[in-house]
Amino acid sequence: MIQLKSRLNVIDNSGALVAECIKVLRNARWAEVGDEIVVAVKRARPISDKTSASLSAAKIRKGDVRRAVIVRTKKEIRRPDGRYVRFDDNACVLLNNQQQPLGSRILGLVAAELRFKNWVKIVSLAPRVV
Amino acid sequence: LEICNLSGYKIYPSHGRTFVSRDSKTYRFLSSKTESLFHQKKNARDLAWTPIFRKLQRKGVSEEVVKKRTRRAVKYNRAVVGASWDAINARRTEKPEIRAAARAEAVSKAKEQRKDEAAKRKATRPSAPQGDKLNKHQARSAPAKVSRSGR
Repeated sequence: MIQLKSRLNVIDNSGALVAECIKVLRNARWAEVGDEIVVAVKRARPISDKTSASLSAAKIRKGDVRRAVIVRTKKEIRRPDGRYVRFDDNACVLLNNQQQPLGSRILGLVAAELRFKNWVKIVSLAPRVV
Repeated sequence: LEICNLSGYKIYPSHGRTFVSRDSKTYRFLSSKTESLFHQKKNARDLAWTPIFRKLQRKGVSEEVVKKRTRRAVKYNRAVVGASWDAINARRTEKPEIRAAARAEAVSKAKEQRKDEAAKRKATRPSAPQGDKLNKHQARSAPAKVSRSGR
């Protein structure tokens, strides 16, 4: 249940740490796991000359506006077998305009709903899918 | 069929919730009650209604325990100071006919022995007078018996 002004943890290695939702890219108020949103980066890892060489082309700074996909929510998700799953925090992964993840690695686990919403690349990068 | 992480009850499909914590551990809860208690960091061992508590405090187990505690006396084959094990066993496994025959033999033997002894005694002893047997004092003091036929 992510909406305007919701803060999410960024769990890839793009450099951002905390992002704030500024738009839900659905004709709805809330976004769930697997939905795309527009975020503004609120906290990012400091960029030095060393890190810039190892990162991919995109350098994320505080105040950047990017797209992201939600991977974990504190609000429970209903599974088809009647099970409800909920995580301890809200988390997202930053995307570029072609819906490819910006970072090259994902830290932490993601919800299995991503697979059914066709975020296959993220699922394959994730160390654990619940 | 899963088990509730807090209470230990069985969770049937489409019941309860799954919670994934920050350190990627997955917990299954049967109800909002158990979920709430988990987040309050309650220990199941302190909650009197949980099976874990009951097991620790051994509630409702007494019926089973009483039945199992019967002890059995073990039988050993032992020799006694007076008789070795072989002797004891031999005696035990003797047939009754043999025993009767042995007893009859012993009885007849004893009788024979007694007869011999009686005969021996008779031979060695001088023939005792038919009258009274008196000792020295009585012999002096008491008057001699007078036979009536003398008059």
